Amino acid sequence: MKNKRSFTIELSARQILELDACTRCGECLKHCPVQDVTGNPAVSPPEKIRMFREFIRATDGLKARLFGPAEVDQKLLQDFAKAVYECTTCGACGQNCPVGIFTQRLWPMLRKEMVKRGLGPIGAQAETPAAIKNSGNPYNKPAAERYKPWFPETVKVADRSDIAYYAGCTGAYEAQPMVRGDVLVLNAIGEPFTMLPPEEEVCCGFPLFITGQHDLLKDLVTRLVKGYKAKGVKKLICSCPCCVNIMTRDWPAIYGEDLPFKIRHITQHVSEAIKNGKLQLKNKLSEAVIYHDPCYLSRGVGVIEEPREVLRSIPGVTMLEFERHGLNSRCCGSGGAARKVFHENAIAMGRQTIDEAVAKKADRLILSCPACYAKVNEAMQGHKNQIRITDIMELVSGLI
Amino acid sequence: MGKFLIVAAYAVYAAFWLRFLGHALVWRKASQRLEALGAPLARWSVKGCALAVLDVVLLGRVFIVNPALWIGEWVFHASFLLVVLRHLRFFLDPVPDWVWWMQTPGLIAGYVLPFALLYILVIRLLTKLEKYAAPANLFLLGLVLAISSIGVVMHGLFKPDLVDVKLFIFGIAHFAPAAAPGSVLFLLHFCLVLVLVLFLPTHIFIAPLVMLEARKREQALRLVIHEK
Ligand code: SF4
Ligand code: SF4
Repeated sequence: MKNKRSFTIELSARQILELDACTRCGECLKHCPVQDVTGNPAVSPPEKIRMFREFIRATDGLKARLFGPAEVDQKLLQDFAKAVYECTTCGACGQNCPVGIFTQRLWPMLRKEMVKRGLGPIGAQAETPAAIKNSGNPYNKPAAERYKPWFPETVKVADRSDIAYYAGCTGAYEAQPMVRGDVLVLNAIGEPFTMLPPEEEVCCGFPLFITGQHDLLKDLVTRLVKGYKAKGVKKLICSCPCCVNIMTRDWPAIYGEDLPFKIRHITQHVSEAIKNGKLQLKNKLSEAVIYHDPCYLSRGVGVIEEPREVLRSIPGVTMLEFERHGLNSRCCGSGGAARKVFHENAIAMGRQTIDEAVAKKADRLILSCPACYAKVNEAMQGHKNQIRITDIMELVSGLI
Repeated sequence: MGKFLIVAAYAVYAAFWLRFLGHALVWRKASQRLEALGAPLARWSVKGCALAVLDVVLLGRVFIVNPALWIGEWVFHASFLLVVLRHLRFFLDPVPDWVWWMQTPGLIAGYVLPFALLYILVIRLLTKLEKYAAPANLFLLGLVLAISSIGVVMHGLFKPDLVDVKLFIFGIAHFAPAAAPGSVLFLLHFCLVLVLVLFLPTHIFIAPLVMLEARKREQALRLVIHEK
C-alpha cells in the first residue's frame, strides 16, 4: 500500500522554505567534518536536500495534489536515511551556507521523519528509548551508579536552593573527571546548590531528540522541570552542551510553558564568579592551552567568550586557537549520535582535532563537552600524536 | 519554424507557471505552519536589517565564505539583471523611459556577463578550491554562457532585424504572434532562453527570504541563553 504521509509534517515553515532555498553551491562541503574524513559527496548537505526535495515533490507537489501522492523510491529513501544519520549535526554547513540555512536544526527534524517511516534511527541508536525507559539514561547504567563513582565526598549538596546542578548522563557515566570538576568548582564558589536524587536526574532528552525519536521527550522534560521546581530552583547549571542546548531551545516548547528557572552553562556561571571575586584561581599553570568549541555550545547557544574568559583568568596560561573556532569550530566527531554507528568517522575526526592541537604546539587540549571528552580520548588511543586532554572544569578545579 | 517556436514559447510559459504553482502549494502549506521547537525569539534590529539587505543585494554571505567566487557571482547576478532589464524593450510598447535608460548599462553588462560566467566555471571546475559542483548548476551556467555569448555575437557581428525581433517577441507576449525573424542566431538564442525558463531554479524566489530569516536568527543567538 502506498505511504501517503506528507514529507513536510515534521518541518516548520522556515524549514520547508530552507529546503527550497538551497542553491547547491557546495560551500558547505568545505566545512563538513564528515566530508573531511569520508570525501563522499553523496552524504553532503546539497545531496541530502536534493533527495528530500524529491520526497516532498512526490507527496506534496502539484502532480501529487492532482493525482495523489507518488511512491518514493525506496533505495533513495534508504540512501537518504544513511546520509542524514552519518551527519554529526554539527551545523558547520549552515554556519557557512551563503543562504543561511539553519542545518543544525534541520537535520534532526529530517531524522524524525525517517523515524516515522521506520527508516531510522540506525544501529545502536535504536536502543536508546528502551534504555532510557529502563534506567533513565541512554547507556542503560544503573541510577545508583550515576553519582557514586565520582562525586567528591567533601562536597555537600543542599536539599533546596536557587541554584541546581544537572550532571547529565554522558558526564556522569562516560566523562567523570568532567562532572567531578564541575561540582568541585561549584563548591569552591561557595553558594549552596542542589541536585536531584540520581534516580530522578533522568536523561534531558537530547539523545532522543537528535536521533528523531521524540516520543519520550514530554515525559522526561516534565519530570525534570517539576523536580527542579519543587526544589525552588531559579538557575539550573549544566556543563554538557547538548543538554544545555535542548534545555534552552526545546524544553519550554516540550514542557508547554516558560521554564520556572533559567538555564546557564557552567562556564557562564564560573566566569561570572571569577569576575565578582567569588572564585579565585590561585595556582599558576605555565602551559599553552587550546580550547575546542563544542558545536552545540558555540553554534548552538552562542557560548563562546565565557570559556575563554575562564581560561584567560588562570595565571600563567597562554591561550591558543584552532584555525576554526567560535561559531566556525570544527566538530570533534562525537556529535549527533553518529559516533554510535559511524565509529571510524568519529575517530578520524577526533584525530584531526588532536593533530591540529599538536601542530599548534599546545601542551593541553581543553574540552567542555562530555561527548567530545569521551570520544577524543578514545581517538587518541593508538594514535601517533598524543596530547593531554582536560575538561575545562577539571582544569579549574585543580587550580583553586 | 516560427509557428513551432510560438507554440514552444507558450508551452514553456505554461510549464513555468505550473512548476511555480507546484512550489507555491508547498510554500502555502509552509506558511500555515507554526514555528517548530527551538525557534529563537527573533527580533528585528536595524543592524540585522542592514546586514540582510547586504546579503541579498551584494551577496554578502557568499563574500564571507568565498571571496574569490563572490566577485564572479556578484558580477554575474548584477549583469544578468541589467541584461534582462535591457531586453524589456522588446516586451513593452510604448517603452518606458527607465527601460531606455537601462540600454547602455545593459549593453555593457551583456559584454561582461559571459566573462563573469567563464570566471565562475574556471573557479568551479579548474581550480582545486571547490569540492562539489551540482550538475544542474553547471548545466545552467553553460546555458546562460551560451545565451549571453550568442547575444554578444548578434550585437557585435550578425545583427538580426530588430524590428522583426520586436514584432515577434511583443506578439508572443501579447498573445498576437507574428512571424519569426530570419536570423538563425536569434532563433538559437530564443530557443535557449526557453530552455532556461524551463529550468529556472526556484531558489531565486526563496533564498532572499531565507537570508533575511538567517540574519534575524543570528541576531537572536544571544537571546537563547545569555539574555533570557
Ligand atoms: S552551502 Fe547552503 S545553499 Fe550551498 S549547497 Fe550547502 S546547504 Fe545548499
Ligand atoms: S551538520 Fe556537520 S556533519 Fe552534518 S552535513 Fe553539516 S557540516 Fe557535515
